[in-house]
Amino acid sequence: MSVVESTHLIDLMGVSKTFDGETEALKPINLYIRKKEFITLLGPSGCGKTTTLRLIAGFETPTTGRILFEGKDITGVPPYKRRVNTVFQKYALFTHLNVYENIAFGLRLKKRPQAEVDRKVTELLHLVGLDGFGKRTVDRLSGGQQQRVAIARALANEPEVLLLDEPLGALDLKLRKEMQVELKNMQQRLGITFIYVTHDQEEALSMSDTIVVMKDGFIQQIGTPTDVYNEPKNAFVADFIGESNIMRGTMLRDELVEFEGRPFPCVDKGFGENAPVDVVIRPEDVKLTEPEEGQVAGVVQSVVFKGVHYEMMIRTDAFTWMVHSTQCRQVGQRVGLSVIPFDIHIMRRSVTPVEREG
Amino acid sequence: MNRKIWATPFIVWMVIFTLAPIVLVLIYSLTDASGAFTLDNFAAFLDPIYINVLLRSIGMALLCTLICLLIAYPAAYFLSQKDIDKKGVLILLFIIPMWMNFLLRTYAWLTLLESNGLITSAVNRVLSLFGVQQEVRLLYNYGAVLMGMVYNYLPFMMLPLYTVLSKMDRSVIEAAEDLGANRAHVFTRVVFPLSLPGVASGITMVFMPAVTTFVISRLLGGAQFKLFGDLIEQQFLFTGNWNFGSAMSLVMMVLLLVSMGIMNRFGDKEGGGVL
Repeated sequence: MSVVESTHLIDLMGVSKTFDGETEALKPINLYIRKKEFITLLGPSGCGKTTTLRLIAGFETPTTGRILFEGKDITGVPPYKRRVNTVFQKYALFTHLNVYENIAFGLRLKKRPQAEVDRKVTELLHLVGLDGFGKRTVDRLSGGQQQRVAIARALANEPEVLLLDEPLGALDLKLRKEMQVELKNMQQRLGITFIYVTHDQEEALSMSDTIVVMKDGFIQQIGTPTDVYNEPKNAFVADFIGESNIMRGTMLRDELVEFEGRPFPCVDKGFGENAPVDVVIRPEDVKLTEPEEGQVAGVVQSVVFKGVHYEMMIRTDAFTWMVHSTQCRQVGQRVGLSVIPFDIHIMRRSVTPVEREG
Repeated sequence: MNRKIWATPFIVWMVIFTLAPIVLVLIYSLTDASGAFTLDNFAAFLDPIYINVLLRSIGMALLCTLICLLIAYPAAYFLSQKDIDKKGVLILLFIIPMWMNFLLRTYAWLTLLESNGLITSAVNRVLSLFGVQQEVRLLYNYGAVLMGMVYNYLPFMMLPLYTVLSKMDRSVIEAAEDLGANRAHVFTRVVFPLSLPGVASGITMVFMPAVTTFVISRLLGGAQFKLFGDLIEQQFLFTGNWNFGSAMSLVMMVLLLVSMGIMNRFGDKEGGGVL
């Protein structure tokens, strides 16, 4: 993903949003977005991701802080004067206009000559794979097709940034996967910035250059998909991105953590001695062994076949582990579990706001 | 299959109270007093006296509809904005008159506009301050009837407009802004076109009762000021010429059907929502 340029395109500086003087949708955050970046705001509903997007679009004004676009303050600039365009969650197409006029809407407002409008709309219809759909009425289109019209309409104004608010949420799984690939390709071909909002961690992992994990109006972690998955900053991120076993533990000293009533060697340090921590272990990082050979032993509670692997719940004295393995064990069977030090992730209990380095 | 049976009471009701009367009106209009077939009733209607009353009725109903639209649209648009204090109270104020009997409301106007009524005496007092001695009469004229019609039918314009405007998806308006539309463009290119089904049903709901009214014109217009509804009433209740009255009723029905047909062409998109 070396196409991403290092210059900041958008800067959010101490931006927060409080609705009706009481609901704090977004605590003051600092975030920059680079040129040509595919950045995803990821989090559960109510985490502030859509609010952040709407602040960038200009539909909301921040309660505190400033928003810069290419270094210029655009905090008070109305949406129609910003060089960003939005693809709305429910598409928000103009039902009184046909496909052609929906896409041409922005160009008509700019009073572009008919020949240019024609050329542009034809081009965009081709880009989103809807050649020849111009004359159709929008409410006769399928969800996937409406989605494409919404994307074409937003791209007609040649924005620097495309904002996408859970654009694939209403589509079925197969179509969603196809559109993920298409959107990513489109972003790279057009060479513009995409800011993408979703609650679907898998979608975020597969499309983004950068993921911003949010919760309760705070940014929890900013990083590449690999970073966020492999090195979650706290238990929330670990739990939200993929599946995890999260246990309470005590950091005895550097590189030694206690949980399940025994010490485990790990690779983390700098937590101090006897510090309370969260221990996170991915289900696929747990190795099944003979009962006496493992670090802990437990009894298989359930086995579910998931296609590539089996998902097993294994009850030990202190915890029920989720284990993903290609080997199958029987319910009621006693097994041993072991984890190599590198796969034990230690996190502080407290949740602190995060800033992006660099 | 047998679900049809549940509609029976309704069908019986419609046959007795809607279909049968229409058939009766049709029969009366095509016969004379002795019951023989004739087209004389319709021929008699072509007299300029009657045609003029019909044209006056249509003209007044159109004017009333236009005034209602001009008052109700901006109000409905304002009320449909989400961030308004006391919105519920304002909407209630528009709807409350509909809870009161139509006759009562019109009688209230009668007393207000009488020569010693509240409004008339107030107007005359103000005028006399400016040295105008001649007393104005606010009752029994064109203006009083129009006033009464607008007052009575305004809520019927207001409700469908408010419904369609407040149901309008906020994100559609945001999409227009996002694509470069300023406030004026958002209105002319998106909000107004999308509200047309509401406009159409508002127009229908005001025009229909307005063109057929006779109570308002009799109470506020006096004996001299007649509308088409008054003529029909007169034929049935005073002159006793049911045949001619039926012919005129039929003309009115055709007129209403035609105007409904026209409005339906705008209103057939979903979202019109009569009430």
